[in-house]
Amino acid sequence: MTEKPAIKSKLISLSDAVSQIADGSHIAIGGAALHMHPMAFMRELVRQRKRDLTVLGEIQGVEVDLLAGAGALRRVESSGVGLERYGLARNFRRAVEHGEVVMADYSDTMAMDRIVAKGENLTFWPVSFIGGTDIPRYLPDLVEFDCPITGRKLYAMPPARVDVAVIHMPYADERGNVLITERRLMPQSQDLVYARAADRTYVTVEHIVSHDFIRRSPQLNHLPAFQVTGVIEAPWGAHPGSMPDFYDYDEGHMEEYVEASKTPEAFDVYLERFVRDAGDEATYLERVGIRNLLKARKVVL
Amino acid sequence: MTAGAPTLAETLTIYVARQLRDDDVGFTGMVNGDASAMFGSAIPLAAMYHAQLTHAPNLTLLLAGWLTNPDISKLETMPDSEFMASLRDLDADALINAYPAQYRLRRGDITVGFSNGAQVDAYGNMNSVCIGPHDHPKVRLVGPIFQTEHLAFFGREIIMMPHHDWRNFVEKVDFVSAVGYPGGVAGRRELGLDVGSGPALVITPLCVFDFDLESGRMRVKSVHDGVDPAEVRASTGFELGDLSDVPVTPAPGPADLEILRTRVDPRGIMLSNANPGEAR
Repeated sequence: MTEKPAIKSKLISLSDAVSQIADGSHIAIGGAALHMHPMAFMRELVRQRKRDLTVLGEIQGVEVDLLAGAGALRRVESSGVGLERYGLARNFRRAVEHGEVVMADYSDTMAMDRIVAKGENLTFWPVSFIGGTDIPRYLPDLVEFDCPITGRKLYAMPPARVDVAVIHMPYADERGNVLITERRLMPQSQDLVYARAADRTYVTVEHIVSHDFIRRSPQLNHLPAFQVTGVIEAPWGAHPGSMPDFYDYDEGHMEEYVEASKTPEAFDVYLERFVRDAGDEATYLERVGIRNLLKARKVVL
Repeated sequence: MTAGAPTLAETLTIYVARQLRDDDVGFTGMVNGDASAMFGSAIPLAAMYHAQLTHAPNLTLLLAGWLTNPDISKLETMPDSEFMASLRDLDADALINAYPAQYRLRRGDITVGFSNGAQVDAYGNMNSVCIGPHDHPKVRLVGPIFQTEHLAFFGREIIMMPHHDWRNFVEKVDFVSAVGYPGGVAGRRELGLDVGSGPALVITPLCVFDFDLESGRMRVKSVHDGVDPAEVRASTGFELGDLSDVPVTPAPGPADLEILRTRVDPRGIMLSNANPGEAR
């Protein structure tokens, strides 16, 4: 009789997970604008001085801005990058205007559908609604064709390259089962699209929980372990953005962030203090300060 | 509380409410910044809610594409972020958390929408991508976001422009991220865009525009009370033709104002925070 294999643990440290990301990787990043991004993972990408990354998703925000400000980005493939009430993402804006980062502009549904196409293993996704826009002019991999059924003019959009998906979620067990709280928000469902499309998927979570905890609410397990490469415990992992049921976005820290992002010099000081010199997430949170964190916890449960 | 002449925001809210039908499914996003939030979010939300309370009780209000028929009057502050906790926890018919959402976008489930952009041109094309050339932009803006779909799939789009200036009302936008009427309705058909979609109105702090559907060009439908048509012409970067017979944007009646002030925005958080007229 052959020996029974042991149950595998997919729990790894943040630094080990990020060390598995190669320079030049194409990464789908979860979240939207100021919300639910895997920010702890972003900061570790900066600490390990990753380069030439391509980021994709829909409605990017502070995560792309941080990578742009740290010089880690080469390309963004998305429908937009912005900071909502804080206006344009200044590091991102500067990097594109100076030609350091290329933005491939997709509409919201295009940005998602090319990731869906990757997850469904399709060779293209048909796009019917961009005639007359300048979108195809700057996306040379789109191919115009006549629909073989109706003759309607369409564009064939190839699937996205998604080497890695990185998402931030509430809970996971060591095996890699990922549980989302019941009253989740639409971007968390989009995160699942990224997770299921990517070649490898890393999930940072607020809490590592027991396998029994997962089995008590299996209806909330939206990403069974077989779809997950690694899970990482990262409390406050979406900070300074929000995480539903845990904390809202941190206004105090966002103001500091946005002020710093006005010049490359000031942002370098920010990065040194909060990311590089901080060295790890515990020190990051210490430097953010308990008062900011407590204020951000004003969430009605 | 109900005394006093209507503000421009109130006039425009009731004007928009009158454009809405009982069978509409109306979509608006969360737009930020004082004047932009007023035009992009507060006026459309208040108008849809007002319509629900008056002539359109069956209208479906889709906030930010994921909250269905929220009780707007319960807002304690105007939300400034699309997924903030106070919005998630608002009393509503449905919290849509699936992707794709329940509404069938491509089939035309959404019958009326609201959007804005950095630039809009004489044919109603919109730009939220960049000012200057795409490869070396003078200003890199957010991106196409959902604007492309708004103008391609929604039954009729009401473009809400918080600033009316010759720099954002241009003959041709620097990047077409959403399509109006190049070549009129026939032009839209040739581009493969569905008939029955596209911009219906453009509303600014100075005036209301609609479109000549044959030529596809924007034209002044009305100017707001107290605005000189010459100011509209001076603030617009394309030709507007003869403005001598243009009417004044209709004022709301006292009954509509009363409902707006006491039931739609009882805390005065939506329509009182900023005077959009100052945003000219």
